[in-house]
Amino acid sequence: MAALTKIDAAALFDEPACDHNRAKDPKARKTGCSRPKPGGTAGGCAFDGAMITLVPIADVAHVVHGPIACAGNSWDGRGSLSSGPTLYRRGFSTDLGEQDVVFGGEQRLYDTIVEAARRHHPPAVFVYSTCVTAMIGDDFDAVCAAAATATGIPVVPVNSPGFAGSKNFGNRLAGQALLEHVIGTVEPAFTTPYDVNLVGEYNIAGELWDVTPVLAKLGIRVLASISGDARYADVAAAHRAKATMVVCSRALLSLARGLQDRYGIPWFEGSFYGIRAMRDTLRGFARLLDDKELSWRAEELIAAEEAALATALVPYRERLVGARAVLYTGGVKSWSLVSALQDLGVEVVASGATKSTEDDVDKITELLGPDGIVIRNGTPAELLRVAADTQADILIAGGRNQYTALKGKLPFLDVNQERHHAFAGYPGMIEFARRLDLALSSPVWEQVRAAAPWDDPDPAGPTGQRIAGPGGVAATAAAAADVDVDVDADADADIDDDEVF
Amino acid sequence: MAGVTSGGRGAAFDPLKHSQPLGGALAFLGLARCIPLLHGAQGCSAFAKALLTRHFREPIPLQSTAINDVSAVLGSSDSLLSALDTINERQRPDVVGVLTTGLTEVSEEDMLGVLGSSRYAAGSRGPMVIPVSTPDFHGGLSDGWSAALQGIVAAVPATGVTVPGRAAVLVGPALTAVDLDEIADLVRAFGLDPVVVPDLSGSLDGHLDENWSPLTTGGTTVDALLGLASCEVVITIGSAAAAAGGALAAKAGAPLISHDHASGLAATDRLVTDLTRYTGVAAPDAARRWRRRLADGLMDSHFVLGGAKVAIALEPDQLVAVGSLLYDVGAEIVTAVSPTDADVLRCAPWEEVVIGDFVDLSERAEAAGAELVVASSHGADAAAVIGAAHLTMGFPVYDRMGAQLRATSGYRGSLQLLVDAANRLLEHRESHRATGPSRARRASAEQLEELAC
Ligand code: SF4
Repeated sequence: MAALTKIDAAALFDEPACDHNRAKDPKARKTGCSRPKPGGTAGGCAFDGAMITLVPIADVAHVVHGPIACAGNSWDGRGSLSSGPTLYRRGFSTDLGEQDVVFGGEQRLYDTIVEAARRHHPPAVFVYSTCVTAMIGDDFDAVCAAAATATGIPVVPVNSPGFAGSKNFGNRLAGQALLEHVIGTVEPAFTTPYDVNLVGEYNIAGELWDVTPVLAKLGIRVLASISGDARYADVAAAHRAKATMVVCSRALLSLARGLQDRYGIPWFEGSFYGIRAMRDTLRGFARLLDDKELSWRAEELIAAEEAALATALVPYRERLVGARAVLYTGGVKSWSLVSALQDLGVEVVASGATKSTEDDVDKITELLGPDGIVIRNGTPAELLRVAADTQADILIAGGRNQYTALKGKLPFLDVNQERHHAFAGYPGMIEFARRLDLALSSPVWEQVRAAAPWDDPDPAGPTGQRIAGPGGVAATAAAAADVDVDVDADADADIDDDEVF
Repeated sequence: MAGVTSGGRGAAFDPLKHSQPLGGALAFLGLARCIPLLHGAQGCSAFAKALLTRHFREPIPLQSTAINDVSAVLGSSDSLLSALDTINERQRPDVVGVLTTGLTEVSEEDMLGVLGSSRYAAGSRGPMVIPVSTPDFHGGLSDGWSAALQGIVAAVPATGVTVPGRAAVLVGPALTAVDLDEIADLVRAFGLDPVVVPDLSGSLDGHLDENWSPLTTGGTTVDALLGLASCEVVITIGSAAAAAGGALAAKAGAPLISHDHASGLAATDRLVTDLTRYTGVAAPDAARRWRRRLADGLMDSHFVLGGAKVAIALEPDQLVAVGSLLYDVGAEIVTAVSPTDADVLRCAPWEEVVIGDFVDLSERAEAAGAELVVASSHGADAAAVIGAAHLTMGFPVYDRMGAQLRATSGYRGSLQLLVDAANRLLEHRESHRATGPSRARRASAEQLEELAC
């Protein structure tokens, strides 16, 4: 358990910036967030969370120290896009075997790091510990240090055994690793008064690229994106930014706080989803960068973008207005998306509130109104029940629930990690409307909900137009459209399925 | 007879291997009203579930005993029992497959002992709980599948009676839903009544039910399992089913018909011959018709696939099955990579199988000038880098639809696979046709020759 004790879990849990924890009494706070329930859990592990936060750093080799399960089942499975290097998508695993479990995996880890560095010449290697390597007590940090000396590049240890906690906790461990080992180690080539950090934006489906141009219009430069489409050197230079925005991530507030404590960088929480969220975000930057003229230009930009967007959304809004949606996502998104949907005229009849703070829940309740349902337990069965009770037209949730919806013959839109479409910023809003419209108006729903011929409640009904009466000629379906064919109910009854088709 | 060598790197770069628990879970997903339970920290099941969902495009029932930093050290048996309680209460499954992970294997807890003295002991009321040891740091997907299938057979009670006609068909992980249908139909046509175990054709074939369910919605039923040992014959397709097949044959006192695969004309002939000899029933018309088509298809496709340099990276059974089919049509298997070792690899008709990863695949395939890469979706990059066509097969397949609906075995499936492979290659050659002077010269020389005739 040597490696495990190195994680200062208590310090990480004792995070005043996490309202989630702040709401608890001091004793509850020490134990952190509640432990997953055996047999009733759906979430990923801390290792998963650490990877989510760090793997998007595209030019780095991400080495997983453990048996094959951790990397083998997860590599090349993330939706973060890169505009250049693809090294982050490769899977590097020490692939521990029985021998290593008995005698220790340190040599193997060392060799793997050195080999990955030799083959790909990355600017740094990130190394992740996992359950088994934490249990067998490999001296993880020492091996990373030795490998750094040997390779001459930074080798960043991320102590993230899965059993240490949830995905959120892993996000936080990753943030801690950046603060300890990466940020502040590189000076940017130049700085501007409008350099900012984005924390918790992973460029899923290329969302970042719909946001940076808007910021650029205000002269705002994203110095470090943590970590969508990021490069190691940029992340390492994050300490020179003038403001930090935490994008839809409670777990990474600790990183923003760390940046403030160590480097005096102010931060705010925001979201890129929806008109209202974008408005708040642009204003948030102007406020933190503390520039009157910038505020003024931001207001101009907001007005211009919103006007253009309103025009672009007209056709969608007409089609979407009055649609009823159940939204099931967590944290900040649970209310930022509500407002985005309402902007489109969609009625949100229920919204999930996992990983949301009381603050989030208040916002949801305020947005949904008195009839709105706050879903706290989002089991698939419960989601389908809520959708049925509220006569919802669509479920908007994470990919995990896609097949819940489909098996319930309910239209679905993916808004989490695995989504394939970019919904951020102003262009994202149009894409969001388009995808909603496509999901809702797809011709498949009517077909899959129709009764099968053998379940037809009205067997004598006029379905047999292709079948001629006795002595007649069976008309083809095409001919039946303009030829009036006598339907003989008795003949119909004699036909079995095979013959009709 | 192939020699099996190691890729030589300790680590896995772009791993081809998947963990044992994943393979075990996959096998249990072929049982009806079942849920696999991974005994480990929650991440293992979340990853496995996400990957299986991506491949099958289906909801995947899978749970975790959610071991945490405290139970990892102080003991995990309480978590195991309370997970079973929760599942039993909420989902009411017929079968729970419990699969250990690296974490619970390292702590060396006696899972069998814990279960044996609990309310979930074999023979007690409630769901059939089948424990299987599947450490992540040993073997891979096929081994996990094999272990789970052996666990299932071990849990099947001896019945002491034989039901005439009942045939237990135990299968490995290489067969698709459509393959399983095909094999069951074939066995049925010989007058037998097949019970396929595990039967992914009923659970993960992609079908729409009336109601949503948190358990598998098809597959081998518990009743079928309880009567499995009454079979008059055991048939195995896939070496990952061989050990379980042997155990079942012994338990049932039944003869065993064992095949590594049913891919290609010769292999399917052997299966059909065995079934004919065993039952004394003449081969069914459908088989005769498809055999004629396959024979014709072999001739047609040998113009395309003959001499084609093929690189394959698949699980052992499927590697040998697909490789044999292509080898039998005259393709040259220049690289064959398996994630783990298995005896079946030594039966491959070409020279060498390497135990390795996608880096081994791409380096060797490139050196050998491979034109066709047969591998999972993870192989797409490797194929692109070396400029080869990619026939997507195996696990996981997430950038193509219908992996379960593609036929790959038996006379019909073999033909389908040949056609797929040939078409991939034709498409690829078409789109990569060189337009440079050398080809133009060659073409005009050919034209001249033609004119001269
Ligand atoms: S729970 Fe542990 S063993 Fe499982 S994937 Fe996460 S880190 Fe790996």
